[in-house]
Formats: sequence, C-alpha cells, structure tokens
Amino acid sequence: MTQRQVTVEAEVGLHARPAATFVQTAAKAPLDITIAKGSGKPVNAKSILSVLSLDVRKGDIVVIAAEGDGADEILDRLAEIASAP
Amino acid sequence: MAETAPLPLDPRAVRLTASAADRDDAILQCGRALMEVGAVESPYLDAMLERERAVSTYMGEGVAIPHGTLKAKEVVRHDALCVLRFPDGVDWDGERVTVCVGIAARGDGHLRLLSALARILMDPERARALREAEEVAEVLRLLEPIEEEE
Repeated sequence: MTQRQVTVEAEVGLHARPAATFVQTAAKAPLDITIAKGSGKPVNAKSILSVLSLDVRKGDIVVIAAEGDGADEILDRLAEIASAP
Repeated sequence: MAETAPLPLDPRAVRLTASAADRDDAILQCGRALMEVGAVESPYLDAMLERERAVSTYMGEGVAIPHGTLKAKEVVRHDALCVLRFPDGVDWDGERVTVCVGIAARGDGHLRLLSALARILMDPERARALREAEEVAEVLRLLEPIEEEE
C-alpha cells in the first residue's frame, strides 16, 4: 500500500470544487483509492459522497492510499489537489 | 467530527410533489422554500444560482444540494434545510435529479449539514427511500443523522 499524507489548505476544505476535482481525478484511475481524515476510517476516494462525509476542513490532515501499478503517480496528483490552497 | 445534532428541517420546507422546468427553476423553488421559513432573504436566491454555475451541487444518488455562495452568508438568518422532491426528475447538467436538499447556513454550518447529508446518502437504501418518500414525516425521519460508527 502506497500512501500520501497531506494537510488540506483550501479555505473551503475538501468540499465544493476541491472535492469535485479530487473525486473526478481519482475516478479516472484504474486503481482502488482511499482517503481518510487523520487516523479515521478510510473511505472510497472516487465517491463524492464518501469524501464529503469526511467533512475535511482547512488544516485537517488526510491520508490518501492506493495499491498497484501507477499508484505513486496518481497519489502525487491527488496529494497536490488536496493540498492546493 | 461526530455530528449527531438534528438537521434544521422545518416540515413546512418539505415538498413531495414539486415539478420544475429546469435546473435553475428547481434551485429558485428551493430558495423560495427557504425564504418562506424565514431562513434567508431574497438575495440568497441569486447566490444559489451563482454557486451552481461555479460548481455543480449534484451529489449522486439523484440528489442535488443547492446552496448560496460564501458571500451570501449575510442574508442567511438561520441555518435551515428544505427538501423538494421532483418525481418527474430535473435535468441537472446531464444527471437526473429527483430530490433537492436546499441548504442555508451561516458561517461554515453548511459543511456540517452537507457531510451529515452525505453520510445519509451513502446508504443506498436510505437514499432510495428518500427519493421515493410519500410522506413528510418519512422525509424527516430519513434525514435524522446517522450515529457515527467510531
């Protein structure tokens, strides 16, 4: 399992456009990807409902994880989206 | 994070058999329902349209959650939800929406409401029941927050 841990910097947290962009990017990858808030339970990163249910706010830490070919590449992109101001 | 406070849904803001010409019409009907329970002032309606044009509020499971922009917070008097069912469906940028949950919230209160709603809709049975609800009381019951598992 490969993972990235980042702090969310967007004012709205992982809601609205950041959440939409994050989920759309994750959904295009042919891998299972999860996201968790802090040490919480990981949820499906490809579902907007799952991501919104985490209620990630600015300053929260999220852990994004995937396994398989291309995991590093997609996780780098998702980490960048999640941590963008 | 664990959020079990009741959702601020006034039974008067639940409409089971609404119909709308298009997405914007559906959004405006939500805005008016929020106005009628005294939650928002009229400028909030334009802010809801503006918000929708910036990013779709479609959430999945046939549900959209129209709400205003951050700068419209000053015309929100109190946090509130409305639920409008559109049995004939509304075309929402290519998605079919049958339930709109309109949100009015001061501060970042809408984020709490939104995530509580997301947890409810993640249960496909509950989402289906919400789409097919035939009584206001049932809608109110379905939107009772789910207890956190952790």
